[in-house]
Amino acid sequence: MKMVLSQRQREELNKAIADYLGSNGYTDALEAFKKEADMTGEMDRKFGGLLEKKWTSVIRLQKKVMELESKLSEAQKEFIEGAPTRAKRTPAEWIPRPPEKFCLTGHRATITKVIFHPVFSLMVSSSEDATIKVWEFESGEYERTLKGHTDSVQDIAFDHHGKLLVSCSADMSIKLWDFNQTFECVKTMHGHDHNVSSVAFSPSGDIVYSASRDKTIKAWEVATGYCIKTYKGHREWVRMVRVSPDGALLASCSNDQTVRVWNADTNECKMELREHEHVVECVAWAPEAAAAAINEAAGGDNRRAAHAGPFLASGSRDKSVKIWDVSTGQCLATLVGHDNWVRGAAWHPGGRYLLTASDDKTLRVWDVAHTRCLKTLYAHQHFATSLDFHRSLPYVISGSVDQTVKVWECR
Amino acid sequence: MNPCSAATPQIDSEGDGRWNSIHNRFLSDAKGKDADVIFIGDSILQALEHTEVWNQWFAPLHCLNFSIHKDQTQNVLWRIKNGELDHVEPKVVVVHVGTNNVEHTPEQVCEGILEIIRTIREKHPSASIVLPSLLPRGQYPNVLRDKNSKINQLLKEKVSNMNKVEMVAIDKGFIQNDGTISHHDMHDYLIPTNAACRKAFEPVYDLLQQILSEGEPEKDLTPSE
Repeated sequence: MKMVLSQRQREELNKAIADYLGSNGYTDALEAFKKEADMTGEMDRKFGGLLEKKWTSVIRLQKKVMELESKLSEAQKEFIEGAPTRAKRTPAEWIPRPPEKFCLTGHRATITKVIFHPVFSLMVSSSEDATIKVWEFESGEYERTLKGHTDSVQDIAFDHHGKLLVSCSADMSIKLWDFNQTFECVKTMHGHDHNVSSVAFSPSGDIVYSASRDKTIKAWEVATGYCIKTYKGHREWVRMVRVSPDGALLASCSNDQTVRVWNADTNECKMELREHEHVVECVAWAPEAAAAAINEAAGGDNRRAAHAGPFLASGSRDKSVKIWDVSTGQCLATLVGHDNWVRGAAWHPGGRYLLTASDDKTLRVWDVAHTRCLKTLYAHQHFATSLDFHRSLPYVISGSVDQTVKVWECR
Repeated sequence: MNPCSAATPQIDSEGDGRWNSIHNRFLSDAKGKDADVIFIGDSILQALEHTEVWNQWFAPLHCLNFSIHKDQTQNVLWRIKNGELDHVEPKVVVVHVGTNNVEHTPEQVCEGILEIIRTIREKHPSASIVLPSLLPRGQYPNVLRDKNSKINQLLKEKVSNMNKVEMVAIDKGFIQNDGTISHHDMHDYLIPTNAACRKAFEPVYDLLQQILSEGEPEKDLTPSE
């Protein structure tokens, strides 16, 4: 592309170049340039640093333009297509839409995780303020605070019935909380040598799995509180561990940039998935309903692939989200669009969408079959760290470094 | 012995042990946060953490701010030698210190900053080190103002040919035509206000963005017609 400068612009550019040469001490070049460009007299102050300013601001403006363009197209889409009304929404298709229904404050530090209760209309948030808070998500009411950890609470999980909550912390402990009646800590388990970053229940509810910065994953018997297995293999901090829906496999991710899949019973590492180019922050097992959409994404033009799964999604600091076939170790799809670290991932119960939370402050809804971002929610004022999708009701929750928990209604 | 380059903790003149508490908090922050950028220094950088531009520009870059009010070069040096940069892998370290070394000569302060640079370099051979220049201070022209500008000049000469060390001039535009500094820019004639931080730290932000995006594929930035 040929760009033409007006005479006035050219004069200004020359002056800015002269200022650049002068202020950086290139005196010989400045003299020669002044002579050739036929410049006389003193330099105007307004050209001080002008060239550098233009040089840097172009990049910034372009970024801003891209941001605004994507916001505009989002708004246009909303305006033209309109969101379905509450009456017309179907559970397989509803997705969270702005604005948020509630913005809940109370935590005094970063929210590390938000999860729904599997039965009651409750949700739970954990925070770097060392507490866990319980909220009612349909009314937005605060219920109670669980205190006991002495450092950042890193992850929380419910058992199948929602009678027990497990939490883990940078204080190196894992705690079990009674959610039936007392809301008290009923057991504390020690054994990791470092920050415990993640916890998960087995589907049966009798085993808790934990991942730690000490590079290991451990299995704990809920009834006794004993550590019954240790899974070794990661070369760095293990960020998250999640159990497959049938309980046979564990998926974990780590600062060593890999995702690993383990046989839960034998503690053998079945597979190492290495395609991310930075720390892998989160993993999420796909529900069975997602198989169709994933196979459509993995197939070529008009062809549907025939992968059997199970399938796993992973989000990384390399800003991408990947979907894997765990039976073969193949990466089937890569979702690109986040502008910063991806921190949280949750599948839509209908299986067609994957939702992610990122340090670019947004939540994104991905249309899996077409591997594209369907919707971007400018959700928080600071990094979005975690999100969860209710398995039967039209609600999504998110947590952030901005210390708020938000409830989003789906339509 | 140059007092500016001999690592010492800040003297707890008020007796409440805050300096040590802050240092210990920084040690534990360093361990869990995986920051890409670390700010370390004195009151000026500490104040930056509580401005709008910090939230808007710097926080999204994954920054930690290890700055303490009234710190001098020897105090920052002590903190670095005592673990604050040991459990992190920063891509960039931003250092601003020296304005509080009121009793020392420009040459001594400059040497103190160079010692800090050497210590950071030892711990993080491949990190970039960014040095925002010292800001002018005091409502009217005074010896400390002259001294800070002298330190800037000395430091600029010394670091000009160091690899991955960049000095950024942020001191322009504070001194008005009549030689005074406005309280709109520095409410106490030392620490920049919200609006002044926006002006002063914009070039630092630009530089950080450029350093952090080096290695990423270049985008076509020509405007489409």
